[in-house]
Amino acid sequence: MTLRVAIEGVSFWASRLPGWEIARAVIRGDQAPPEAPSPRPSPTLLAPTERRRAPDTVAVALEVAVRACEAAGRKPSELPSVFASTHGDLAISDYMCSTLATTPTLISPVKFHNSVHNAAAGYWSIGTGSLAPYTAISAYESTFGEGLVEAATQVVCEQRPVLYVAFDIEAKGALSSMAPSRGLLGAALVLAPVSSSQQQRSLILTTEPVDQCQPTLARSAAAPLVADNALAPCLPFFEVLASSSPRTLCLALSRQLALNVQVN
Amino acid sequence: MSATQTAGERELAELIVTALNLEGVAPGDIDPEAPLFKTGLGLDSIDALELALEISKRYGFQLRSDDENNVRIFSSLRSLAAHIATNRVNG
Repeated sequence: MTLRVAIEGVSFWASRLPGWEIARAVIRGDQAPPEAPSPRPSPTLLAPTERRRAPDTVAVALEVAVRACEAAGRKPSELPSVFASTHGDLAISDYMCSTLATTPTLISPVKFHNSVHNAAAGYWSIGTGSLAPYTAISAYESTFGEGLVEAATQVVCEQRPVLYVAFDIEAKGALSSMAPSRGLLGAALVLAPVSSSQQQRSLILTTEPVDQCQPTLARSAAAPLVADNALAPCLPFFEVLASSSPRTLCLALSRQLALNVQVN
Repeated sequence: MSATQTAGERELAELIVTALNLEGVAPGDIDPEAPLFKTGLGLDSIDALELALEISKRYGFQLRSDDENNVRIFSSLRSLAAHIATNRVNG
């Protein structure tokens, strides 16, 4: 399998890396990360009724989704999208489990409404008024790589740009002992068919046996700032992207397969 | 000029603002006679379910989704507070 796609837009958000410009500068060693963490982004795209119900997953996912579309100069409502998250909202999952175990008739309708893994994708389609298809994907520790393959496959098969959004939030309660995750982390890309006429950065994705492509480790000054988040395996990709020269990395896909990513 | 809230209405107004995470709404500013849904506070059906849950937890009685009087009960802060005052078993 070989997939070639262009990168039209990039975005990134973590509390001490609030935006791709800052994240890129920290990764390159051009600046120190801000000392003070930024507050959770406000999903201003949403109408007040949805905004006041939006959980952290929606806040961080919509922030990076909007910024990637802005960077690409694309209208959000026209893009099919892929939303990837390792755990979805483990804080709500923990609430649902503990409430069902103790007072099952007292489940919060709003939390129930927000508990699904595709909540962020659903809020996005409501907020942008988009009728384009969306996909929600989870693949535990391989989530970022699997989501990237899904988005790139849609670009190549449909020959149209696709928004790719990946995010994970803080785990709470008993579930956090089995599936730990700290803080908020989101990243997004607008991927598009490769155009011979435009000077764009591009990706060549190929699958390889995992013994020939061990997942690349993060090594920049940004790494300790996101290392405790379940989406941390995405960071090596953004470290390569932050460099202006072509480079290659490996992302986990499964116990047998890895994704070789050539960034041009 | 809106009507003055009673103590029970004020307590319920605080519960509504907190439970529904209303932005830019002070409990004391909710007109007890204004509609809670659509116009007025602009609440919707999910808010009604959430509010019914919070009221049952706070005041110890169930608001049923199939109650034919729900339109009247939920019509305003005043009518909802009066219904709670009649039916509450704790709080």
